[in-house]
Amino acid sequence: MGVFKNSKREIESEIFTGSMADISFLLIIYFMVTSVFSATRGLDFALPEDNTETPEIKQEDSIDVFVQPGGDLQLDGNPMAKEQIADKLLPYIAETLRENPKKPVILRTDPEATYGNMIYVFDILRTPVEDGGIKIETISIPTQREISNIWTMLGVAQ
Amino acid sequence: MAVIRGRVKKSGGEIFTASMADIVFLLIVFFVLTYNTEVDRTQVDLPETWVRKNIPKKAAVISISSPDTGEIVRVSTGEEMSLPVSTNEEVITFASTVVAQDPTKEFIIKADEDVHYEKVDAVLDALKQSKVKTIYLLSDQRTVDG
Repeated sequence: MGVFKNSKREIESEIFTGSMADISFLLIIYFMVTSVFSATRGLDFALPEDNTETPEIKQEDSIDVFVQPGGDLQLDGNPMAKEQIADKLLPYIAETLRENPKKPVILRTDPEATYGNMIYVFDILRTPVEDGGIKIETISIPTQREISNIWTMLGVAQ
Repeated sequence: MAVIRGRVKKSGGEIFTASMADIVFLLIVFFVLTYNTEVDRTQVDLPETWVRKNIPKKAAVISISSPDTGEIVRVSTGEEMSLPVSTNEEVITFASTVVAQDPTKEFIIKADEDVHYEKVDAVLDALKQSKVKTIYLLSDQRTVDG
Protein backbone atom coordinates (compact mmCIF):
# COMPACT_ATOMS: atom_id res chain seq x y z
CA MET A 1 0.00 0.00 0.00
CA GLY A 2 1.31 3.33 -0.97
CA VAL A 3 1.86 5.91 1.81
CA PHE A 4 0.83 9.41 1.05
CA LYS A 5 3.10 12.05 2.44
CA ASN A 6 1.38 14.79 4.38
CA SER A 7 1.67 17.61 1.92
CA LYS A 8 -0.34 20.19 3.94
CA ARG A 9 1.31 23.58 3.44
CA GLU A 10 2.06 25.58 6.57
CA ILE A 11 0.60 29.07 6.51
CA GLU A 12 3.13 31.62 7.62
CA SER A 13 1.67 34.08 10.13
CA GLU A 14 3.40 37.44 10.30
CA ILE A 15 2.54 40.81 11.66
CA PHE A 16 3.01 43.41 8.99
CA THR A 17 5.64 45.79 10.28
CA GLY A 18 6.26 47.75 7.13
CA SER A 19 4.49 50.87 8.40
CA MET A 20 6.11 50.77 11.85
CA ALA A 21 9.00 52.92 10.72
CA ASP A 22 6.60 55.54 9.35
CA ILE A 23 4.63 55.69 12.59
CA SER A 24 7.78 55.80 14.71
CA PHE A 25 9.33 58.64 12.74
CA LEU A 26 6.04 60.52 12.81
CA LEU A 27 6.04 60.27 16.62
CA ILE A 28 9.66 61.38 16.84
CA ILE A 29 9.01 64.41 14.65
CA TYR A 30 5.93 65.29 16.72
CA PHE A 31 7.84 65.17 20.01
CA MET A 32 10.80 67.05 18.58
CA VAL A 33 8.61 69.88 17.30
CA THR A 34 6.37 70.27 20.35
CA SER A 35 8.89 69.55 23.09
CA VAL A 36 11.03 72.30 24.56
CA PHE A 37 14.06 72.27 26.77
CA SER A 38 12.84 75.30 28.60
CA ALA A 39 14.89 77.37 30.99
CA THR A 40 13.57 76.26 34.34
CA ARG A 41 15.89 77.97 36.75
CA GLY A 42 16.02 81.43 38.17
CA LEU A 43 16.24 83.69 41.19
CA ASP A 44 13.55 83.11 43.77
CA PHE A 45 12.19 85.36 46.41
CA ALA A 46 9.46 84.86 48.94
CA LEU A 47 7.07 87.64 49.69
CA PRO A 48 6.27 88.41 53.34
CA GLU A 49 3.25 86.75 54.85
CA ASP A 50 0.36 88.90 56.01
CA ASN A 51 1.43 89.95 59.45
CA THR A 52 0.11 92.97 61.23
CA GLU A 53 3.01 92.87 63.67
CA THR A 54 5.63 93.54 60.99
CA PRO A 55 8.04 96.01 62.52
CA GLU A 56 8.49 99.24 60.68
CA ILE A 57 11.98 99.59 59.23
CA LYS A 58 13.54 103.00 59.36
CA GLN A 59 15.79 104.02 56.52
CA GLU A 60 18.79 104.43 58.83
CA ASP A 61 18.23 100.86 60.12
CA SER A 62 18.66 99.39 56.66
CA ILE A 63 21.11 99.30 53.79
CA ASP A 64 19.64 101.26 50.91
CA VAL A 65 20.65 100.03 47.46
CA PHE A 66 19.20 102.19 44.67
CA VAL A 67 19.72 101.05 41.07
CA GLN A 68 19.84 103.96 38.65
CA PRO A 69 19.30 104.11 34.90
CA GLY A 70 22.43 102.79 33.23
CA GLY A 71 23.18 100.40 36.08
CA ASP A 72 25.06 102.66 38.50
CA LEU A 73 24.16 102.52 42.19
CA GLN A 74 23.41 104.83 45.04
CA LEU A 75 24.55 102.83 48.05
CA ASP A 76 23.28 104.48 51.23
CA GLY A 77 23.32 107.70 49.26
CA ASN A 78 26.87 107.27 47.96
CA PRO A 79 27.41 106.79 44.24
CA MET A 80 28.96 103.55 42.97
CA ALA A 81 29.75 102.99 39.28
CA LYS A 82 28.43 99.86 37.59
CA GLU A 83 31.98 98.54 37.05
CA GLN A 84 32.66 98.69 40.80
CA ILE A 85 29.54 96.85 41.92
CA ALA A 86 30.95 93.32 41.58
CA ASP A 87 33.99 94.16 43.72
CA LYS A 88 32.71 96.71 46.20
CA LEU A 89 29.02 96.04 46.93
CA LEU A 90 29.34 92.85 48.98
CA PRO A 91 32.38 93.99 51.03
CA TYR A 92 30.47 97.18 51.97
CA ILE A 93 27.41 95.16 53.00
CA ALA A 94 29.54 92.64 54.93
CA GLU A 95 31.18 95.52 56.82
CA THR A 96 27.79 97.01 57.68
CA LEU A 97 26.29 93.68 58.70
CA ARG A 98 29.24 93.00 61.01
CA GLU A 99 27.94 95.84 63.20
CA ASN A 100 24.30 94.73 62.92
CA PRO A 101 23.69 91.32 61.29
CA LYS A 102 19.92 91.85 61.29
CA LYS A 103 20.05 94.89 59.02
CA PRO A 104 17.84 94.36 55.98
CA VAL A 105 18.88 95.39 52.50
CA ILE A 106 16.33 97.46 50.61
CA LEU A 107 16.72 97.12 46.85
CA ARG A 108 15.06 99.98 45.00
CA THR A 109 15.20 100.47 41.24
CA ASP A 110 14.54 103.56 39.18
CA PRO A 111 11.57 102.97 36.83
CA GLU A 112 13.76 104.07 33.90
CA ALA A 113 16.47 101.47 34.68
CA THR A 114 16.25 98.14 32.93
CA TYR A 115 15.21 94.82 34.44
CA GLY A 116 18.71 93.54 33.59
CA ASN A 117 20.27 96.30 35.75
CA MET A 118 18.12 95.27 38.72
CA ILE A 119 18.72 91.54 38.28
CA TYR A 120 22.49 92.12 38.10
CA VAL A 121 22.48 93.74 41.55
CA PHE A 122 19.94 91.31 43.02
CA ASP A 123 22.09 88.39 41.86
CA ILE A 124 25.13 89.85 43.62
CA LEU A 125 23.11 90.41 46.79
CA ARG A 126 21.94 86.79 46.67
CA THR A 127 25.50 85.50 46.30
CA PRO A 128 26.70 84.23 49.68
CA VAL A 129 29.05 86.69 51.34
CA GLU A 130 32.31 84.79 51.78
CA ASP A 131 33.86 87.40 54.02
CA GLY A 132 33.46 86.00 57.54
CA GLY A 133 30.41 83.91 56.66
CA ILE A 134 28.08 86.90 56.97
CA LYS A 135 24.72 86.36 55.35
CA ILE A 136 22.13 88.92 54.29
CA GLU A 137 19.01 87.84 56.15
CA THR A 138 16.46 90.03 54.42
CA ILE A 139 16.40 91.61 50.99
CA SER A 140 13.33 93.73 50.46
CA ILE A 141 12.19 94.84 47.00
CA PRO A 142 9.55 97.53 47.52
CA THR A 143 7.41 98.53 44.57
CA GLN A 144 6.88 102.14 43.48
CA ARG A 145 3.40 102.11 45.01
CA GLU A 146 4.75 100.95 48.37
CA ILE A 147 7.50 103.59 48.29
CA SER A 148 4.93 106.29 47.40
CA ASN A 149 2.72 105.13 50.28
CA ILE A 150 5.62 105.46 52.71
CA TRP A 151 6.47 108.95 51.45
CA THR A 152 2.81 109.94 51.70
CA MET A 153 2.61 108.60 55.26
CA LEU A 154 5.68 110.62 56.15
CA GLY A 155 4.18 113.67 54.49
CA VAL A 156 7.07 114.04 52.09
CA ALA A 157 6.28 115.42 48.62
CA GLN A 158 8.15 113.61 45.84
CA MET B 1 25.75 31.32 -32.97
CA ALA B 2 24.41 30.21 -29.67
CA VAL B 3 24.13 32.93 -27.06
CA ILE B 4 24.91 31.91 -23.56
CA ARG B 5 22.62 33.58 -21.13
CA GLY B 6 24.37 35.42 -18.36
CA ARG B 7 23.99 33.47 -15.17
CA VAL B 8 25.85 35.92 -12.99
CA LYS B 9 24.00 36.13 -9.70
CA LYS B 10 23.13 39.67 -8.70
CA SER B 11 24.42 40.53 -5.24
CA GLY B 12 21.69 42.31 -3.25
CA GLY B 13 22.91 45.62 -1.78
CA GLU B 14 21.06 46.12 1.49
CA ILE B 15 21.36 48.46 4.41
CA PHE B 16 21.10 46.67 7.70
CA THR B 17 17.98 48.09 9.32
CA ALA B 18 17.30 45.65 12.12
CA SER B 19 18.60 48.04 14.78
CA MET B 20 16.63 51.00 13.42
CA ALA B 21 13.57 50.03 15.42
CA ASP B 22 15.63 49.98 18.63
CA ILE B 23 17.08 53.43 17.94
CA VAL B 24 13.73 54.87 16.98
CA PHE B 25 12.01 53.55 20.09
CA LEU B 26 14.86 54.76 22.25
CA LEU B 27 14.36 58.25 20.82
CA ILE B 28 10.60 58.06 21.34
CA VAL B 29 11.05 57.00 24.98
CA PHE B 30 13.53 59.87 25.50
CA PHE B 31 11.14 62.45 24.10
CA VAL B 32 8.19 61.05 26.04
CA LEU B 33 10.14 61.29 29.30
CA THR B 34 11.53 64.77 28.65
CA TYR B 35 8.35 66.08 27.05
CA ASN B 36 7.59 69.55 28.24
CA THR B 37 5.09 71.75 26.50
CA GLU B 38 5.76 75.44 26.31
CA VAL B 39 2.89 77.49 27.69
CA ASP B 40 4.49 80.77 26.71
CA ARG B 41 6.40 81.22 23.48
CA THR B 42 7.44 84.83 24.03
CA GLN B 43 10.98 85.25 22.73
CA VAL B 44 13.04 87.04 25.37
CA ASP B 45 16.71 87.62 26.16
CA LEU B 46 16.78 86.52 29.78
CA PRO B 47 19.12 88.24 32.21
CA GLU B 48 22.06 86.12 33.38
CA THR B 49 22.65 85.25 37.02
CA TRP B 50 25.07 83.18 39.09
CA VAL B 51 22.42 82.12 41.57
CA ARG B 52 19.78 79.93 39.97
CA LYS B 53 17.25 77.71 41.67
CA ASN B 54 14.99 75.08 40.21
CA ILE B 55 11.57 76.38 39.32
CA PRO B 56 8.65 74.06 40.03
CA LYS B 57 6.76 72.74 37.05
CA LYS B 58 3.26 74.07 36.48
CA ALA B 59 4.05 77.42 38.06
CA ALA B 60 2.04 80.31 36.67
CA VAL B 61 3.94 82.42 34.14
CA ILE B 62 3.91 86.15 33.51
CA SER B 63 6.05 87.16 30.56
CA ILE B 64 7.09 90.62 29.40
CA SER B 65 8.39 90.89 25.86
CA SER B 66 11.31 93.09 24.80
CA PRO B 67 10.89 96.86 24.22
CA ASP B 68 11.27 96.18 20.46
CA THR B 69 8.02 94.22 20.55
CA GLY B 70 6.16 96.65 22.79
CA GLU B 71 6.77 95.15 26.25
CA ILE B 72 3.62 93.07 25.96
CA VAL B 73 2.56 91.30 29.16
CA ARG B 74 1.20 87.77 28.81
CA VAL B 75 -0.16 85.52 31.56
CA SER B 76 -0.55 81.77 31.86
CA THR B 77 -1.69 79.50 34.68
CA GLY B 78 1.12 77.12 33.72
CA GLU B 79 -1.28 74.67 32.16
CA GLU B 80 -2.76 76.68 29.32
CA MET B 81 -1.24 78.81 26.60
CA SER B 82 -0.48 82.37 27.66
CA LEU B 83 -2.79 85.25 26.82
CA PRO B 84 -1.93 88.93 26.49
CA VAL B 85 -3.21 91.40 29.08
CA SER B 86 -3.26 95.15 28.65
CA THR B 87 -3.75 96.59 32.12
CA ASN B 88 -2.34 96.05 35.57
CA GLU B 89 -5.84 95.34 36.87
CA GLU B 90 -6.06 92.36 34.55
CA VAL B 91 -2.82 90.97 36.03
CA ILE B 92 -4.24 91.43 39.54
CA THR B 93 -7.48 89.69 38.53
CA PHE B 94 -5.56 86.82 36.94
CA ALA B 95 -3.18 86.38 39.89
CA SER B 96 -5.97 86.66 42.46
CA THR B 97 -7.97 83.98 40.66
CA VAL B 98 -4.98 81.64 40.52
CA VAL B 99 -4.12 82.23 44.19
CA ALA B 100 -7.76 81.69 45.20
CA GLN B 101 -7.62 78.25 43.59
CA ASP B 102 -4.19 77.39 44.98
CA PRO B 103 -2.78 79.68 47.69
CA THR B 104 0.69 78.11 47.41
CA LYS B 105 0.96 78.57 43.64
CA GLU B 106 4.35 79.89 42.55
CA PHE B 107 4.68 82.55 39.88
CA ILE B 108 7.44 82.97 37.32
CA ILE B 109 8.34 86.34 35.85
CA LYS B 110 9.89 85.80 32.44
CA ALA B 111 11.03 89.21 31.26
CA ASP B 112 13.48 90.48 28.67
CA GLU B 113 16.59 92.02 30.25
CA ASP B 114 16.03 95.29 28.36
CA VAL B 115 12.50 95.80 29.67
CA HIS B 116 12.03 99.03 31.63
CA TYR B 117 11.88 98.21 35.33
CA GLU B 118 8.65 100.21 35.55
CA LYS B 119 6.88 97.38 33.74
CA VAL B 120 8.34 94.69 36.02
CA ASP B 121 7.52 96.83 39.05
CA ALA B 122 3.87 96.97 38.01
CA VAL B 123 3.75 93.17 37.67
CA LEU B 124 5.50 92.69 41.03
CA ASP B 125 3.04 95.07 42.64
CA ALA B 126 0.10 93.19 41.14
CA LEU B 127 1.46 89.89 42.50
CA LYS B 128 2.02 91.40 45.94
CA GLN B 129 -1.53 92.74 45.98
CA SER B 130 -2.79 89.30 44.99
CA LYS B 131 -1.01 87.73 48.02
CA VAL B 132 1.33 85.58 45.93
CA LYS B 133 3.83 83.85 48.22
CA THR B 134 6.77 82.93 46.00
CA ILE B 135 8.03 84.53 42.81
CA TYR B 136 10.79 83.24 40.55
CA LEU B 137 12.68 85.52 38.21
CA LEU B 138 13.62 83.38 35.23
CA SER B 139 17.27 83.71 34.24
CA ASP B 140 20.04 82.14 32.20
CA GLN B 141 23.30 80.93 33.69
CA ARG B 142 25.96 83.61 33.95
CA THR B 143 29.36 82.42 32.83
CA VAL B 144 32.83 83.70 33.67
CA ASP B 145 33.31 85.24 30.23
CA GLY B 146 29.70 86.43 30.07
